[in-house]
Amino acid sequence: MTALLEIRNLTVQYGRINALTDVDIDVSEGEIVSIIGPNGAGKTSLLSTIAGVVPAAGGTITFRGEDILRLPLEESVRKGIALVPEGRHVLPGLTVLENLRLGATIRSDTPEVRRDIERFLDAFPILRERRNEPAGRLSGGEQQMLVIARALMSRPRLLMLDEPSLGLGPQIVDKVYDMISDTRDQGVTILVVEQNARRALAVADRTHVLNGGIIRLSGTAETLSGDPDFEAAYFGLRSVADG
Amino acid sequence: MGSAFIPIMIDAFSVGGLYALTALGIGLIFSVMRLANFAHAEFVTVPAYALFVLSDHPVVVSISAAVLVAVVLALVTERAAFRPLRGIDPATMLIASFAVSMFIQRLLVFAFDSRIKPVNPLAVLDGSVALFGAQVNLLKLTTVITCLVLLIALTVFLKYTRFGLEMRAAAEDFTMSRLLGVRANRVIATAFVLSALLAAVVAVLFSAQTGFVHPRFGLQIVIIAFVATVIGGLGNLLGAAVGGFLVGVVSTLLQALLPPDLRPFREAFVFLLVILVLLFRPQGLFPARGLKERI
Amino acid sequence: MIRHEADTSARSDRWLTPDGLARLVPLFILVVVVAAVMLAASQLGIVQQRRVTFGFISLITVVGLYVFMGNSGVLNFSFVGFMAIGAYVSALLTMRPQVKATFLRDLPDWLAAAQFDPVVGALAGGFAAALVALVVGLPIMRLSGIGAGIATLSVLIIFYIVLGNWTGVTGGQRSLMGLPTYVTIWNAGLAAIGAIVLAFVYQESRSCLALRASREDEVAARAAGVRVVRERLTAFVLGAFICGMAGVFYGHFLGTLRVENFYLDPTFLYITMLVVGGMRSLTGAVLGVIVISTLTELLRLLEIGVRLPGIDAALKAPAGLGDVVLAAMMLGIILFRPQGITGGREITLRGLR
Repeated sequence: MTALLEIRNLTVQYGRINALTDVDIDVSEGEIVSIIGPNGAGKTSLLSTIAGVVPAAGGTITFRGEDILRLPLEESVRKGIALVPEGRHVLPGLTVLENLRLGATIRSDTPEVRRDIERFLDAFPILRERRNEPAGRLSGGEQQMLVIARALMSRPRLLMLDEPSLGLGPQIVDKVYDMISDTRDQGVTILVVEQNARRALAVADRTHVLNGGIIRLSGTAETLSGDPDFEAAYFGLRSVADG
Repeated sequence: MGSAFIPIMIDAFSVGGLYALTALGIGLIFSVMRLANFAHAEFVTVPAYALFVLSDHPVVVSISAAVLVAVVLALVTERAAFRPLRGIDPATMLIASFAVSMFIQRLLVFAFDSRIKPVNPLAVLDGSVALFGAQVNLLKLTTVITCLVLLIALTVFLKYTRFGLEMRAAAEDFTMSRLLGVRANRVIATAFVLSALLAAVVAVLFSAQTGFVHPRFGLQIVIIAFVATVIGGLGNLLGAAVGGFLVGVVSTLLQALLPPDLRPFREAFVFLLVILVLLFRPQGLFPARGLKERI
Repeated sequence: MIRHEADTSARSDRWLTPDGLARLVPLFILVVVVAAVMLAASQLGIVQQRRVTFGFISLITVVGLYVFMGNSGVLNFSFVGFMAIGAYVSALLTMRPQVKATFLRDLPDWLAAAQFDPVVGALAGGFAAALVALVVGLPIMRLSGIGAGIATLSVLIIFYIVLGNWTGVTGGQRSLMGLPTYVTIWNAGLAAIGAIVLAFVYQESRSCLALRASREDEVAARAAGVRVVRERLTAFVLGAFICGMAGVFYGHFLGTLRVENFYLDPTFLYITMLVVGGMRSLTGAVLGVIVISTLTELLRLLEIGVRLPGIDAALKAPAGLGDVVLAAMMLGIILFRPQGITGGREITLRGLR
């Protein structure tokens, strides 16, 4: 397998506080990799740094063999990285259709864009029904579908999702995770960050446990759930990071 | 009644239309970068001076030059002064734009002195026409029509073009839009260019109405347009346009209806209105959706 | 580090301890500087004395502006309006009745006939400004950021429109002439020192420490029990009082009042002084006035024309250049050193801390 995304010794600081310390992660083409950890573990910082929202203090990030560490954030999507940030972030005053169209900002193949939009509207009839309504009026679950679809409109190589299950009911979460699996089946590599460890373990080929800005443990669902250190890594050991 | 009513309304809307265009110019930039741009005054003043300098040339030449000058000025100030400050707190940006405004204003005084200069860019529109049985000033009628046409054009641009979509997205959530690939520099530059185009049109129409320019030419109209954007809701373009019309109409009607003793104070009432709006409806009469920081 | 935030338990009764005396060092230095300028300038010719006197009046204004804007971090474009109130109130109380009768027809009879002592007029001017600030500030102190900027700008414009059109009381657009000109380098210098002391004592008070906390983080300060609106209002009223006094001195220095003198140009000048020096410290306010006043003076001389020694040619700058340079300097400071020359620190014996 070739590494699509390669992160080495990544350190991110807010003032003097380390949000991430020496993080190494590889994501190979076609994989689903998940990062789990409690609130404040550094998960959002990780995705934000990859996307270029937050600058790194040290380390390297390579995507398809190219250094992307200092890329301005509007360029990362042009390289093939799409981020669905935490809290969904639909553009609330724009219509559903406009949100989808905006997802294709970097594309110029208008007829293909139209076809893609149709495909998503077919897949989610509720979005078709409300396509001319402001996206802010959709329910939380509908907004989550919309932002994932919107991210996919850029036809990314790598889709990054930040807490896609946050604040959603269990049935909706099922749908969201179905959508994630389907997306992988279409050849998109996925990096998903979750507090909801069970979901993230189940969907992923490999999982890293992040706590206090440090990767504590890595493995597959089977190896991790059998690991005696798993709970300690997930819930505790904050003192190590603070030191 | 009817013959007095129509000219008063045309009057009110020609004033309101200029305020609306100015408020939109301010609102466009505010909505994408949270900059309350004081220097918009000079985006109006400088093209008016271009009209003065080129007053011996054909109207087409002088007006085109005015538009060009406004666009160049807007792009230069964006690049030199506002881009380095992007992301800084809005209060500092406001002071910075105040400084930019004063700098350009003083350059104008330096280059042209501070006395008023005669301009008459639209001499062809002197005179009046009959409209529904009333004599209406042709220039004022043109002003109203131009404002309406520009409002419609801007709406179409924002609603139906790709640039417009990107600008509206940036106005709602700048970071998210950039994540989707919207280029910050391009959106902001577009906002400045549009703002400058509107300012140039205001410069032409307003200088045609007043007949002269001076270094504070744009300031008087921009200060009132600021009020309009606040009343309409900072960051909301529809609100800015409506606010502009509202302020213009109210101020014209106050002029017509207030007892003569109080007329000179009419603008004081308008500014009082702003303070009241800020206090009781800090998001304006038409709150902007997705406006991040509260004022 | 910003010194005041290190010790949050400022109390006046601790000033007599060694630590307390150390805290007074910035005040001491600033007062000595102003006193030295005053004494030195008093030895110069009358023209130079007047320049320095004018600088002292600017100093009072900028200190007044600093008291609110520096400590609260909230924009204020209205302070020149409070200068105007101080200036006009004092003028109306101290002008000779004959002079008032020629210019101002709508004065109430008692005011038209009265002529008060200059000290009474000056204090009345300061307190009138403070009183108006109390009324105006009560509602608008709730606003921060751009809202505060636009609201205070609106206040300035309202004052300007009212003063400029209330012709029977203020003289309107014409100049109001015939104010007694009692301002000298001595009383202006002492008033400047007084303003500095007042601002310093205030800035060491609990009220101001709470206000500074709200400047750094309004939400956290509120959560910690700081009554932000009240503390802001205190600073606003005190600042308006100082600005009002500055207006009094301004009026009785020039002997003539024009509403244009209390509008956007001086607003920009004084804000430039404060921003250039560094908005967040009293040292910054004082230093900004010194730097900009000196620069203005040099540029003015250059516009008149300077004869260089040894060269048979005069160096002369075109008129209006000074204003351009000042505005450019303001822009440069905002772009490259937004915290001003002092970076928000106070002066001590070991330099800026």
